[in-house]
Amino acid sequence: MSNSPEQPIAEQPIVNRIAKLARIHLDQQQLESSGNKLEQILDFVSQLEQVEISEDVSPFFGAIESVNAIREDQLTPSVSREKILDNAPESDGEFYLVPPVFRNTDS
Amino acid sequence: MNHASNPQSTNRRVVRFDQSEIIIGLEVHVQLDTDSKLFCGCSTRFGGAANSQTCVVCTGMPGSLPVINQHALELSIRAGLSLNCQIAQSTKWDRKNYFYPDLPKGYQISQFDQPICGPGYLDIEAVENSSQPRRIRIERAHLEEDAGKSIHDESNRGQNSKIDLNRTGTPLLEIVTQPDLRSAAEAKSFLSELKLILNYIDVSDCNMQQGNLRCDANVNLHIPFGEEKIATPIVEIKNLNSFRAVERSITHEAQRQFEAWQENGFTIADAPKQTRGWNDHTQSTTLQREKEDSADYRYFPDPDLIAVKIEEVQIQQIKSQLGSLPSDLRKLLIERYNLKSADATVMVSQGRGVVNYFLEVADGCENSRIANNWIGQEVLRQLNESNQTIDQYPVSPQQFTELLKLVIAGTLDQTRGKEVLNEMVEHCISSQEAIKRLGIKPVDNRELVTLCEKLIAENQEVIEQIQSGNAKAIGMLIGQARKLNPNANPGLIKEMLSKMISS
Ligand SMILES: [Zn+2]
Repeated sequence: MSNSPEQPIAEQPIVNRIAKLARIHLDQQQLESSGNKLEQILDFVSQLEQVEISEDVSPFFGAIESVNAIREDQLTPSVSREKILDNAPESDGEFYLVPPVFRNTDS
Repeated sequence: MNHASNPQSTNRRVVRFDQSEIIIGLEVHVQLDTDSKLFCGCSTRFGGAANSQTCVVCTGMPGSLPVINQHALELSIRAGLSLNCQIAQSTKWDRKNYFYPDLPKGYQISQFDQPICGPGYLDIEAVENSSQPRRIRIERAHLEEDAGKSIHDESNRGQNSKIDLNRTGTPLLEIVTQPDLRSAAEAKSFLSELKLILNYIDVSDCNMQQGNLRCDANVNLHIPFGEEKIATPIVEIKNLNSFRAVERSITHEAQRQFEAWQENGFTIADAPKQTRGWNDHTQSTTLQREKEDSADYRYFPDPDLIAVKIEEVQIQQIKSQLGSLPSDLRKLLIERYNLKSADATVMVSQGRGVVNYFLEVADGCENSRIANNWIGQEVLRQLNESNQTIDQYPVSPQQFTELLKLVIAGTLDQTRGKEVLNEMVEHCISSQEAIKRLGIKPVDNRELVTLCEKLIAENQEVIEQIQSGNAKAIGMLIGQARKLNPNANPGLIKEMLSKMISS
């Protein structure tokens, strides 16, 4: 995933690749506009690089500083199958039904 | 690269398969033995009705929030300590993004750069053809949630796939080794030792039929070629769910890679890592997909979960409750109880319950050799035949000790002792009661003399055989003696007969 700084991100295959990974289809026009938007976001975020941080500050991963939100290993009632399968685009009352999944098995 | 050039290809044909070295690393997924799932209170029980054990959290409904299961953390630390791993002081959760129908959120909650367990190792016993025990380094072990189960239409008529999400969110510990294993047999040995350890420390039942221990194997070859050593492209064999599949797939894959290299000369620099699946029916691996590089999963910290800090005192507390590991017990049985290495291995492989039973009986009767013979053979056979565990065995260690004391004292010979044991097992009674039921009585000396005189009088032919040097013929007399009086001790009869015949 190399993107050289002089080349605008929109013209690089990277936008296409991100779209593919996210299972989104983008036409040529959408590709360009998404690329531009991504670039604006990166520009905006890159302001953070100007902040001076001393070496001894360790990286921070969450928006809150607390730790150890933990629960006991205890059972709580599950949602009934009927109710949960109501959310499925398709089901047979027992299972979720999805388009056939084919595995690529040519060796 | 010049792969196709003929002289090279001819040279490659000269190299033999057995000159190459197999390099294997394993990724083992173990289901942790919790009651509830990793991030919600749904049950982890196996075999429930499809989609009856799910909720808004494990099906990934918008707005639901995961909360980590304390017990899953403890079990992971326990496993890490038993594998000599460094336990993280702080561990966090990341999203591993990919699309598959049995992954409802579109990502799996896993651990990317701060796994709960860091580097460690596991020592394995020597396997055949290799005289040394081996230390296999563990790279890391991290916690993650399992995906659901897909049932694909196998009729090939393009029917829908069915999804059951009961397993979704079940806690898994993924244990990753360094590429330190050098043969299929070593891989199998590593897995059986790992399975035994996790059983001993109650982290997982490792039931492979239920998929509670699954394994991926990374395999390639180092082939000496001229002055250099060639490495073949790495292949990951996915989802091996039996020891046999692990052993056979690695053996097959190594051979396949060697032939492919002879054919095309491709090295690790020429091809990306490949994923192949093991097919039990055809006994071969088949290509699944080119492995995405790690960035394709677009790991990022899960904003719904916060870090977990693990205090040293918590680690020490878990460590103090760990109990003896299989390797400790093998050592104890060999050094303190004088068992042969092979016998100690068998005893320990039966699980902690059997080892404790043995220790109690061996201490009680003060004869570890006889305790090992009787437990290693009779008890294990009976448990196997009745498909019971040692907790269900009807003879308590105390009762067993009483029986062995009678055998050691010579009051019961081996054969009668076994009859008594069978009676004890069948009727759940003590050795004294069993002896009474079987009508076993001590035989006094006068009775023995009468019995021997009768045998000599009635078997002149046999006596002549013995006198002319066929010492083994005495066995026939002892057999007859036992028919006439089952309580007669064969050792005493033999002694007495020999004396009477030679005088
Ligand atoms: Zn749930």
